[in-house]
Amino acid sequence: MASLRAGLGLVGGLGVLALAAPIVATDHAWVARSGPDGWSSPLLRGLVGTPAAVPAGLEEPILEAPIPYSPEELDLERVFEAPSAAHWLGTDGLGRDVASRVVHGGRASLAVGFLAALLALGVGLPLGAVAGYRGGWADAVISRGVEAVLCFPTLLLALAMLAMAPRWLAGLPDVARIAIVVGITGWIPIARYLRGEFLRIRGSDMVAAARASGAGHARLVIRHILPSSLAPVLVTAAFAVGAAILLEAALSFIGLGVRPPTPTWGGMLTEARVQVHRCWWLALFPGAALFLAVFGCNLLGEGIRDRLDPRSRAG
Amino acid sequence: MGERPGEAMSRAGGEPARRVPSLPAAVARRIGTGAVTLLLVTWVVFALCLLVPGDAVSVEGGADALGRRLPPERVAELRALYHLDESLPRQYGLWLRDVARGNLGRSFYDRRPVVEKLSERLGITLTLNLLSLALAVVLAVPLGAAAAWRPGSHVDRVAGVVTYALYAVPVFWAGLLLQLAFAARLDWLPLFGLQSPGARHLGALHGLVDQAAHLVLPVVCLSYGGLAYLSRFVRATLVESLHGDAVRAARARGLPVRRVLFFHAFRQAAVPMLTLAGFLIPGLLGGSVIVETVFALPGLGTLFVDAVFQRDVPVIMGMTLLSAAATLAGIVVADLAYAVFDPRIRRG
Repeated sequence: MASLRAGLGLVGGLGVLALAAPIVATDHAWVARSGPDGWSSPLLRGLVGTPAAVPAGLEEPILEAPIPYSPEELDLERVFEAPSAAHWLGTDGLGRDVASRVVHGGRASLAVGFLAALLALGVGLPLGAVAGYRGGWADAVISRGVEAVLCFPTLLLALAMLAMAPRWLAGLPDVARIAIVVGITGWIPIARYLRGEFLRIRGSDMVAAARASGAGHARLVIRHILPSSLAPVLVTAAFAVGAAILLEAALSFIGLGVRPPTPTWGGMLTEARVQVHRCWWLALFPGAALFLAVFGCNLLGEGIRDRLDPRSRAG
Repeated sequence: MGERPGEAMSRAGGEPARRVPSLPAAVARRIGTGAVTLLLVTWVVFALCLLVPGDAVSVEGGADALGRRLPPERVAELRALYHLDESLPRQYGLWLRDVARGNLGRSFYDRRPVVEKLSERLGITLTLNLLSLALAVVLAVPLGAAAAWRPGSHVDRVAGVVTYALYAVPVFWAGLLLQLAFAARLDWLPLFGLQSPGARHLGALHGLVDQAAHLVLPVVCLSYGGLAYLSRFVRATLVESLHGDAVRAARARGLPVRRVLFFHAFRQAAVPMLTLAGFLIPGLLGGSVIVETVFALPGLGTLFVDAVFQRDVPVIMGMTLLSAAATLAGIVVADLAYAVFDPRIRRG
């Protein structure tokens, strides 16, 4: 159970942090004093989009965000500063706050991760289920196809698709475009794993008993096979999110992912590469966030497997 | 990494006993299915070139992810190279004929034949991959064995957590951290590149040492993923075979434990492990794209990344085809080796 809890904690924590990024890491003060007895909240105002009653310079911040910098705010006086009380995780080559960028960077990574995993599941689940459940020629055709696509290194395929860039793909917003490419290349392990699971379920005594008592295909699938396949589907979904986050980061690292100035963990590591000999904090923190997110997804998948599938508990 | 090692190979298990086909028959069959897969692989690569939009190519030049457009003369070249004016089946047939003749077109960037560009970069990538594979195998065996010896012991649990965590470490982060520690801080090894500046003035021996030093970090960086995968597999196989009849019999005869481990348990684990190495190839090739980028090595990976940025379609297609074909060859050879060593698998 430990891995399930740890995985939930990591993924949930990073997810909440990413969702709350505009509140947690922003240069808008939470509460500010404007004039002798006027109070205002620049943060709320910024989120809602109403103009300030007083010029921003006259407001005196009372309560600041925990990370009081926006991810894109430049400060050319303070470039390449090591972690300090002012900048917890240091600053980068443009004086931007690394902590703020790490927190905001999770938004693109996790969004692509979840969208791509959803897409990969949408392709892999039906293919794997049909191959495993129907067997016969359907299985033969799908399995050959899977084997062929399996020969391609995922990263190469994704890069090639991005380079070819048909018009419909090139016109999409970054997150959607990357999610589609990552999703299209990510369904293979899902289809393979689910094929095996469906094959196992189909051959189980439970299904044989139901069939013997006269259940038709529809009833078999809906009442018996789908409920038992919940565990494998959830497990693959968790692993798929982790794999998608990794691939997105690799694409961003190479320079074909979500484009700057939007902060992404992979993109931050590209910037760190040039400075690796003198600024360790640029490489350490975004990578650590990435590692924790992927590790969390893997732990979650492992935990769900242990929880829902008694067979693996022994191992 | 979703699939279990050896899954594809364990089809024989649990089925009622059938006659085991002869070795030549099994080999012929596997090569046959491999050929079918190779055909499907060419479909996938061909589908990639269909992605370069025909209409956009003809009229205004498709813009890519970075908003760049292909100039008209490149578009005309693409039309000729991939026979885009023909019908779809003819396009595929003609392209396949060209590929079979070893004609992958000329690079858009420097007008040199793609085959030539690929082959001159092959050596570095191959060296990098083979060394990484060797390192992973050499380290995975003792690591897996130490973990398997007493399942549930501290060694086992620590090894389990560490190898599991390694799956989640992004290759480029590992590369940066290795550079940070061993090149920037400790200054033990060179930061990147294949040679030190001025290396051509070194003698043959010193030149070799210099190159070897440049390869240490990239090889380590590329091997840890496979190491995690293999060592978990070695552990699982050894735990199983340590409780098997052969080992029990050996121990009952009073053989020393080390001897049992090395001569009896390993023998059963060795074959699946060596063949498993074949399945690591796509991961290694994908990883070497990143490792070569991080360490600025002039291999196939950096050639591919450059081609992607230059939108050098013939090189991208050639590299994609080459990597898939290499992977397929690795898997087929692995399966064949398995069939030679383990007759049960020949039933397929």
